[in-house]
Amino acid sequence: MNYRARSTLTCYAAILPTVVLLLTFVYLPVVWAFSKSFYAFEIGGESRFVGLSNYAEYLLEDPTTWPSAINMVVLTLFAVTARLTFPLIVAKLIHSLPRERWRYVYRLVFLVPIVVPGVAVQLIWAGMIYSDSGLVNELLRWIGQADWVHGWLSEPQTALICVALVGFPFVGAFEVLIYYAGLSNIPQSVHEAAAIAGCTGLRKFLRIDVPLILSQLKLIVILTIIGSVQGFQSLIILTRGGPGFRTTVPGLWMYYNAFSFQRMGYACAIGVLLFLVILTLTALNLKYFKSSESVQGAA
Amino acid sequence: MTAGRIIRNGSLAVIVAVGAWLLWPTTAERRGDSRVAGGRTTPADVKFVIKFSPGQAYFPDSRPYGLGKPLKGLATVVRSFEALFPDTRVEILSTPGVREYLVTQLAGGQAPDIINVNVEDVWTDVHKGWYVPLDSFLEAPNPFVRKTGDPDLPGARQWWDMFRYQAISRGKAAPDGKVYNITFDMIETGIYYNKTVFRELGLDVPETWEQLLDACRKIQAAGRVPLVMHLGAYHDWLMDLIFDQLYYDLLPGIDLVQDPVREGYLQGYLDWDELAFLHSKGFFNRHDPRYVEIWRRMRELKQYTNRDLVSTDTIREFVTQRAAMIWHVSSLSYRLSGDRDLGFEWGVFYLPRFTKKTSRFASGEPMCVIGGAATQLEVTNRAVSDTASSLPITERMRRSERLKRVIALLQFMCLPQQNERIVCEYPGYVPNIVGVKGLEILEPFERILQRRYTTTKWVFTFDLRFSEIQQRMLILYLTDGIDLDGFLDWQERNLSAACANLKRRKALDTARLEAAWRARAAERATARGLPPTVAAEGGS
Repeated sequence: MNYRARSTLTCYAAILPTVVLLLTFVYLPVVWAFSKSFYAFEIGGESRFVGLSNYAEYLLEDPTTWPSAINMVVLTLFAVTARLTFPLIVAKLIHSLPRERWRYVYRLVFLVPIVVPGVAVQLIWAGMIYSDSGLVNELLRWIGQADWVHGWLSEPQTALICVALVGFPFVGAFEVLIYYAGLSNIPQSVHEAAAIAGCTGLRKFLRIDVPLILSQLKLIVILTIIGSVQGFQSLIILTRGGPGFRTTVPGLWMYYNAFSFQRMGYACAIGVLLFLVILTLTALNLKYFKSSESVQGAA
Repeated sequence: MTAGRIIRNGSLAVIVAVGAWLLWPTTAERRGDSRVAGGRTTPADVKFVIKFSPGQAYFPDSRPYGLGKPLKGLATVVRSFEALFPDTRVEILSTPGVREYLVTQLAGGQAPDIINVNVEDVWTDVHKGWYVPLDSFLEAPNPFVRKTGDPDLPGARQWWDMFRYQAISRGKAAPDGKVYNITFDMIETGIYYNKTVFRELGLDVPETWEQLLDACRKIQAAGRVPLVMHLGAYHDWLMDLIFDQLYYDLLPGIDLVQDPVREGYLQGYLDWDELAFLHSKGFFNRHDPRYVEIWRRMRELKQYTNRDLVSTDTIREFVTQRAAMIWHVSSLSYRLSGDRDLGFEWGVFYLPRFTKKTSRFASGEPMCVIGGAATQLEVTNRAVSDTASSLPITERMRRSERLKRVIALLQFMCLPQQNERIVCEYPGYVPNIVGVKGLEILEPFERILQRRYTTTKWVFTFDLRFSEIQQRMLILYLTDGIDLDGFLDWQERNLSAACANLKRRKALDTARLEAAWRARAAERATARGLPPTVAAEGGS
């Protein structure tokens, strides 16, 4: 066996454990979930083939389906909008700082909160901001506006918007760094050309910077959509999907069906449908959302 | 070698050394012993290590509400038990109370041998062999009592006889008719009120629903929140209390199944199969005026309770006197009695009865008991883990040596002197063992517990999906997110699905229920306010 073959085999051998683990703990459960979506079964209980019944029930009979889908769309649109704007503005402001030392300090300042677990953040919002004796209500009482006091997360009129607002001002370190990296990659010659052409300030930002970081924007859009469609952890902590189903999303209902109601097959069907939604949105995004490379190519 | 490199390598060496030191087995571990709760070691020759998750109420070294000395009662009882059985060690564990944890642990046979969970939450799983039915043990003598040689002591004939509140204890039987839990203490709810505020406003303890609402109006006008309570109090407690008030008069015509064993204690309890059958006959929907009345009366009370039913710190509201009343459980007595800075006198009363002025369907009976079992100990499949899992549970129970020890521990904890050590260490719950006197401060709750037990437990009768949806839609209804019609729409669909699910799990004995239904037609014929479908058939 020559050196090249040995080297190749070594590489494959080195990667094999990872592949095995990936297949066992990622792909196998996915296949299992897909197959179980055609069964009615409980953990530890009987399993009975029901064909497409789980899908039909979820799409046609379950009263939570459409309200929760609408909530998901609203929260996803809000999250996409927030993550496309606020972190980008902050990244641009940091990038525009004249001295590298200050750029470093600000990057660090925005990066440090990334170590705070998401659960802790949600608990802070639920307990210290929105609760009956939280910051908002106590402030209202203090200024003599007790009539404006609300159960922000428990009243149907306010719950969804309050859930969406958690994380304000939406400047996630991850997004800021991604945008910052994109902005840093724009060649200096482009900036100089823009300056010569008199394109500065907001106009330069919208006409030059944004088109040249479309790849980063595209990545954030995809990740935000995936996160919003899949995610329900924050909703469990904040509202458990209530009041009623006003903040329920399909992922949360899937979780309740799986672990509280033990309708595993039904939960698998919801999971498969969510997978299809994510796949479709990602494919559309990849197809129709231009990347910075294609913009540069077109130019 | 540079200084930086020396520091780097040195740091790495220190980390490795500290890690190795931490992981190095202790002398006891090298001998094969293992660590157990309380810092004791378990000798290698111990045959049974029972894992016991008692919940938070009596957890050793905990301090309920942060008051008093750390609890020792349960640990003392466990040590006494271990002294009797040197081949057994009991590990007291704290486990997460979430259902997700329990389900996965039980599926893997890894849950503690004894757990403390609301028994209704396990009913949906009993057919999977995850829990050990305890009837055969309860119907046999308690061996510790029998050993005394006194045949008249409670427990000498049947373990069952040791329990003081028979209706509540036996009412915990699952829909399959079997008992899966032991409950040695009781919890009851009550309305704690600020006597000082009541005196200032010239209010008496209300004896009727109208008087309660009138008191609420006056308190509200005085600028305080009249009554604070959590959503669960509406969803669970108030639902059952109002149901009992409005349906009590109908019971002779709708209580169809007389359980030969339990009926003597429960007297008119509507089981799941009766509820499902009555639902099929036209009860419990928008056409059933009593059912609609339940939700109207709840809404009526809501205007006087805290606006936020989820995040309000109700105890804080009460102790800071922003609220004049709080609907809570008996253990709050300990919190209030231990508060030196409270600054007001407090008392306890029970929710007052409906009158004909409240509703034409009011029975006039006092409100029933809706509290009941506090600590609910279930024995899991781990207790029979010394037998083949392929065997039926009855066979596993017969063969298991480990189970004998687990049951012995439960029997031991039910002995009066042991139970007193556990339950009466602080005033939280009322003892459920004959011969154990409860603490004086809990006397109001002992009086409440003497009342008739509830007609049914709606939240716990059906599956968890039913409860989840009912709770969700109820808060929406109570907070103006949906009107009564919309709420009833959800309830009808929810109840229909829950009944269908129950029927699927356990075939409904329709013929027997139909026969009983016909036999009670005369009792229904004189009743007012029946659903149209029932009235149309002349009550039959």
